[in-house]
Amino acid sequence: MTDAIDRRRFLKVLGVTGTGAAALSACGIGPEPTEKLIPYLIQPEDQIPGIATYYATTCRECAAGCGIQVRVREGRAVKLEGNPESPINRGRLCARGQAATQGLYNPDRITSPLVRNASGVFEAIDWDGAIPQLGAKVREASGRGTVFLTGAEASSFGDLVGEWMAQVGGRRLSYEPFAFEALRAGNRLAFGTGTVPSYDFANARYLLSFGADLLDTWLSPVEFQNGFARAHAFDAGRPASMAKFVYVGPRMSLTGMNADEWVATRPGTEGALSLAMAQVIVSQRLAPLPGDVGRLAELLGRHTPRAVAAAIGVEREAIVRLAREFANSRGGLAVAGGMAAQYPNGAEIVAAVNILNYVVGAVGTRVKFGADLGVGETNTFADLAALTADMAAGRVAVLLVHGANPAHSLPGAFQQALGKVGFKVSFSSYMDETAAACDLILPDHHPLEQWADSRPRAGVYALQQPVVQPVFDTRPTGEVILRLAGRSGGGTFKDYVQGKWRELHRRFGAGKSFEQFWFDALQQGGLYGDAPARAVRLANGIDTAFSRVAPPADAESETGGEVDQTVVVFPHPVLHDGRGANKPWLQELPDPVSKIAWHSWVEVHPDTAAKWGVAAGDFLLLKSSFGAQKFPAWITSSVRPDVLAVPTGQGHTAFGRYAKDRSANAFELLGVQANSYGGRNFSVRATATKTGEHRRLVTTEGSPRERGEGTVEVLSLARARSLRPGDAPFHHAETPEYAAEAVEWWAERQHEKAELGDYRGEQPRWGLAVDLSKCTGCSACVTACYAENNIATAGEELMERGREMSWIRIERYWLSDERGAPYGAVSSPMMCQQCGNAPCEPVCPVYAAYHTPDGLNAQVYNRCVGTRYCSNNCPYKVRYFNWYNYAERGGEWEAWPEPLSMLLNPDVTVREKGVMEKCTFCVQRIRGAQNQARLQDRNVRDGEIVPACAQSCPSEAIVFGDLNDRRSEVSRLAGNPRGYHVLAGLNTKPAVTYLARVVAAEAPSHG
Amino acid sequence: MVSLVLALPLAAQTPAGRYQAPVVTDTGDLKGPRQPIFFRHDIHAGEDQIPCMYCHYSAAVSSEPGIPSLQTCLGCHVVVSGGTRAGLEGDTGAAQAERAQIQQLRTAWRDRKPPEWIRIHALPGFVRFPHQRHIKAFGAQSCSKCHGDVQRMPQVYQVETLRMGWCVRCHVENKVSRDCSVCHY
Amino acid sequence: MAEAPRQTQPSTRLTYDYVTRTIARTIGNPTRGYFLLLGAAVALLAVGIITLVYLLRYGLGLAGYSHPVYWAVFITCFVFWVGIAHSGTLISAILFLFRSGWRTAVYRTAEAMTVFAVMTAGLFPLIHIGRQWYFYWLIPYPNERGLWPNFKSPLIWDEFAIGTYFTVSTVFLIMGLIPDVAAIRDLATGWRKKLYTLTSLGWAGTNEQWRHYTRGYLYLAALATPLVLSVHSVVSWDFAMAIVPGWHATIFAPYFVAGAIYSGVAMVITLLVPIRKAFHLEDLVTMHHFENLAKLCLLTGSIVGYAYVCEYFIAWFSGNPNERAAFWYRAFGPYWWATWTMIICNAFLPLLLWFKKIRTNLTALFVISIFVNIGMWFERYVIIVVSLAGEPYAPWANAVYNPTWADWGIMAGSFGWFFMWFLLFVKNFPAVSITEVKEVLPPPRRAVSRAAR
Repeated sequence: MTDAIDRRRFLKVLGVTGTGAAALSACGIGPEPTEKLIPYLIQPEDQIPGIATYYATTCRECAAGCGIQVRVREGRAVKLEGNPESPINRGRLCARGQAATQGLYNPDRITSPLVRNASGVFEAIDWDGAIPQLGAKVREASGRGTVFLTGAEASSFGDLVGEWMAQVGGRRLSYEPFAFEALRAGNRLAFGTGTVPSYDFANARYLLSFGADLLDTWLSPVEFQNGFARAHAFDAGRPASMAKFVYVGPRMSLTGMNADEWVATRPGTEGALSLAMAQVIVSQRLAPLPGDVGRLAELLGRHTPRAVAAAIGVEREAIVRLAREFANSRGGLAVAGGMAAQYPNGAEIVAAVNILNYVVGAVGTRVKFGADLGVGETNTFADLAALTADMAAGRVAVLLVHGANPAHSLPGAFQQALGKVGFKVSFSSYMDETAAACDLILPDHHPLEQWADSRPRAGVYALQQPVVQPVFDTRPTGEVILRLAGRSGGGTFKDYVQGKWRELHRRFGAGKSFEQFWFDALQQGGLYGDAPARAVRLANGIDTAFSRVAPPADAESETGGEVDQTVVVFPHPVLHDGRGANKPWLQELPDPVSKIAWHSWVEVHPDTAAKWGVAAGDFLLLKSSFGAQKFPAWITSSVRPDVLAVPTGQGHTAFGRYAKDRSANAFELLGVQANSYGGRNFSVRATATKTGEHRRLVTTEGSPRERGEGTVEVLSLARARSLRPGDAPFHHAETPEYAAEAVEWWAERQHEKAELGDYRGEQPRWGLAVDLSKCTGCSACVTACYAENNIATAGEELMERGREMSWIRIERYWLSDERGAPYGAVSSPMMCQQCGNAPCEPVCPVYAAYHTPDGLNAQVYNRCVGTRYCSNNCPYKVRYFNWYNYAERGGEWEAWPEPLSMLLNPDVTVREKGVMEKCTFCVQRIRGAQNQARLQDRNVRDGEIVPACAQSCPSEAIVFGDLNDRRSEVSRLAGNPRGYHVLAGLNTKPAVTYLARVVAAEAPSHG
Repeated sequence: MVSLVLALPLAAQTPAGRYQAPVVTDTGDLKGPRQPIFFRHDIHAGEDQIPCMYCHYSAAVSSEPGIPSLQTCLGCHVVVSGGTRAGLEGDTGAAQAERAQIQQLRTAWRDRKPPEWIRIHALPGFVRFPHQRHIKAFGAQSCSKCHGDVQRMPQVYQVETLRMGWCVRCHVENKVSRDCSVCHY
Repeated sequence: MAEAPRQTQPSTRLTYDYVTRTIARTIGNPTRGYFLLLGAAVALLAVGIITLVYLLRYGLGLAGYSHPVYWAVFITCFVFWVGIAHSGTLISAILFLFRSGWRTAVYRTAEAMTVFAVMTAGLFPLIHIGRQWYFYWLIPYPNERGLWPNFKSPLIWDEFAIGTYFTVSTVFLIMGLIPDVAAIRDLATGWRKKLYTLTSLGWAGTNEQWRHYTRGYLYLAALATPLVLSVHSVVSWDFAMAIVPGWHATIFAPYFVAGAIYSGVAMVITLLVPIRKAFHLEDLVTMHHFENLAKLCLLTGSIVGYAYVCEYFIAWFSGNPNERAAFWYRAFGPYWWATWTMIICNAFLPLLLWFKKIRTNLTALFVISIFVNIGMWFERYVIIVVSLAGEPYAPWANAVYNPTWADWGIMAGSFGWFFMWFLLFVKNFPAVSITEVKEVLPPPRRAVSRAAR
């Protein structure tokens, strides 16, 4: 332990000098501060100073269980990257995963056990005092109700909790605010199995999503996005590529944004639509139908397109067309979830969609029962509601909470119920709402600090190992439980996990010794196998199950107005249920759809807004029968006129400096009673009234004039298919003929220059290719860039003034049909284009912006005096200025308060106030790879250098490489007929080639 | 004892013609900052001729030379208690002084309190100096090019300015890249 | 302008002696009002200095900048003050070469204004850069690192243009002062006597000295003349060389030079009217002078107005969507008010000067000149801020910019700084050239000359 403390001190010094030295010395004021070098006592043999070590472990930011590799430098976890071995995320990682390090080094972590003293305030207590105290409480509570509430824990830890609870006569409960109850109930309804299957998007040829946000929050976003890109991207290298994607739902989410068609049905009628489609398919025999389809005849008969069209709000023809497309694709996959699965009739909707899958034979092929997802094992909302009731009735003596924050997702009821509980214990390592209401806090290690495992999917066993020494005086909850259960004799929690794995070794060991088996698993990040598929048949009584699948078009929503609105509460794509709210990276990451950061909002359709006289930024007070909250309006056509939509995630009353008292908590609007299938209703009726208050939305979206001309190019599927190699549909933009001569002359000069000094000889020309038909706008790359390049987070006030530093920004441009109604959007990552003929370079008076021999527009931070001329002259506006000293210790704008500074990348300068900064294609990685290559007397290989953005991209839309190397992947893509340069007409000769987005624009949107 | 000494890298050396580190009685007038432990490079690298890379092993493979962990020191000083080297004969005072230093090291190890060395060669935060590239270019004996003749320094001090002009001059002389982004990013 | 002397046909009491005494009176003991003005100027300067300290400590973020508007009020003020400077050299040098006698009474004021305006302008580039303490990196000097400034950058051209301009106009001012200072030296006493003895460089008024003086003055004038055109052309290239629509225009050099002289002349009027009143120079600075200044205003103002028309016409005529977008945004975007302020103040108001009644009405002139100053400030604001805010290449990044207290503080400071120097000057040196006024008077008649003796 002492060793650890010493190392931590050593690291602190590094952390400080890393930031401090740059700041001070760059000021040119005074000499370098006297630095202390504190050596290791024992050098960890797997770490060489200055060289990063990668450890495989598992991401626990959500239940998906992606495999990650942690980049560790001098004992600090500086960057998370996806683990290529993992079958789930295939080496990719989302923004939330990237930000795990900000949880590890979060300045608001609880540093030691806390106990509430007589006067009701927390005071520190040592572990040896805290644990027995808890033990006593649990003993005396035996029989009078002991409940252990965990998050989604399909893991050894979950098992341990279960065993302990059994031992002390308590019960274990797991809780996820978005736990997909409807999905399970729907499956039970349709197939008599309550599990959550896995979905094979990669092999689908037609995608139909009924509200399921598979790209942002649904089940396993990274995995699904990767599969989606393979299926949906143009020339993704497979015949099935460019599978059409249709999104059904009242609101366009990140997922809906990527659809080729948006069907905005009336909320709650999605099921009717899918039944009607099934009816068409069956009646017209559009697909080889399964044998027992006859049992559906009566049910489908009740749902002909003609019968339901009115109720859904979609023309009959459209339904028929969709059905035909779906069936004829011979690879249709329909999924239901998210919004569609959170109405009172959610289960029926899911069941209806199951039937649609069933009739086209998707079940068993693209819907894989057997490979069930672990999240399906969590308890339902009904169970939690029951618990809340028990607590309120005083039937719970001791409540232990780990990995869940119900006090935030059930603000009213649970909070009050907590008061009735005799003794409340939290294992959270952050002071979240639940922890703040507890009597004893035993902070758990961060997942990156401890041993654990999880079972994200049947057949997949993911391992977690400690990659850094504990930052604070926390303890793995597993250890605590083992000690309380009097089993510490049996060893540490690691031993417990290994015990579980011995069992796996018996099953999958394949003759290896356990040590070998364990070692391999550690190296790979887990044990990755496939679970046997499980065939499912239609359940009995299915035809009678659908009572409420198509609720009649209810009157009030038509009369609409402010009186009574349908308010849809959806999970925030980045902050999710709010667990991400105290991470500055995630707060500063604009929502992919609204582009709003740092606060929540309510989505209002322009017509509605006009009717109520609401302008963007006006506050609307939403009052449901359960609670009231006010949100600033964001006016958009991406939501139905009769629907208001608000995201969860904000409105914390505790949790830390970045989350506390920020905006409003959407959960306040929701009821606490479970619905018929044990889920929670996320759509409520509420009144909306203008409060008269107004705020400037913190959005990165600029002028309303923008339509993306010259920035994004879109091709229709037909046009794209007609392109042959060598075609250049966008070439016309390259150089206007009147400029040809000048350009020629310039090229000549450039060539001469290339024969001088450093430029002489064979040089690479680094370049990037971005495929817009793959990019979904998920923004993982943005957070990856923040993490890799020590980009400061500016905070709400500064971002409101456009001071954010995001080197790569995702520009979102709506795709609208002839009637101007959006049916989707193109997202285009805009980073420095590393122009071959860069406008920023000649205007810099001190050569801080200059051209490197390998074709980068370098930015020499320590030479920059900050005239900002380069940014004025940059047509892409991708240069960002340090208005303040964001690294100043304790400064008003400090971006990395201790210990957050520990995640600063030691290979990248921390910029000081007054200098310009921008994307450099991760030059530190380029130079690092070159240094390595030179040591081995070779050149850098293609694919050896991967910038942070490309590394993280879940849809593999970004490719980096040497454009001068004809064989490199990037130069192959640069020659793609879909390729174009942004603002090519300016003759800036960018090194970034964008591949045009392809849309199946044959069909217009409607609804 | 002897066999143990032989186990060390200084085994190969012949006593003949080897540099003999002076006996330092007054550390006051030595150049450079005073370190928590009076570690003498002139004895280790000079007299005993332990190669630089023995302790600063990562310099050849990484951008960072690294400071040896106490474990590395103890590797020898578990057995080497000092005060026995040539030139100390009869000078019991000096021998004791040197033993005292090693004793200090052992205490530090026992208390798990590593000494806080004063940093001598520091570059600003915006400069990247890949040691491995320079050693690859100049060879393992080239440390003195920048760090001075440490093998003759009882107490290490900064010889070169380590300022940009000094870097550039060398890069020009050796006809290697002077591109800014080689060191600044 | 051969008949210039006759134009200033003096009243009988307007003699050499009278001229000397009248002008000498201007540097007599300062009144309370003078000190109040000086105090106000110094107070403004203090505001500027305090603001600057804040900027240095916390960073430029205190000013209103927001991506992509990276140049704003500071650069606006820079161009504004450089512009002000110009009329000085025009009047003193160009009109001198043209032998237009009427300049004699006004050129000294104009010239002083030039020097102080350049001194003011020069401060802004230093204040607006991010790391002010490294300003010297913009200056070419040999160093061990082998680093030089980038001579391709218009900012470096700027630095040289302003530097040259400051040196030349200062020398020109001091040179012109020599005989006058000598004249008042003979009247002065105490520390001022010492000061003037020093600054008159031992002027005795011998033929020899006069011959050299007039020659030298002529050559300096010839030297200064091209600067009037070059300096502001270079300043305009800071913008014209960039690719920002609204900046990238070949018309910029003449457009800026005209604008500069325009604003400068306006400022001369703004300053001269009160001085004339305060120092009772009605006999020397006559309505005739003002009328000529007004005509100059009218001319340059019309050129500026024409330039505006051109800009919009070309934007439309070029058919370049970006150009069109930029100018549409300028006229009807969120900054329409700034644009229209500039157009009305600069293009329409001065048209009133066609009427002799208004030209010869001091109050009207004064008011108009103030409006022109405001208009010209907004012209620069529109060109710089609005072009950047509505940059049509990357509309996604467009933003609306609002200045903050820091912007205004520095701007106030600049006015304080300028007026402090100007007030100190008029109290310590002849604000109207004694020698040159005399040059345009008829040679003294015996009687008067006796009286003078």
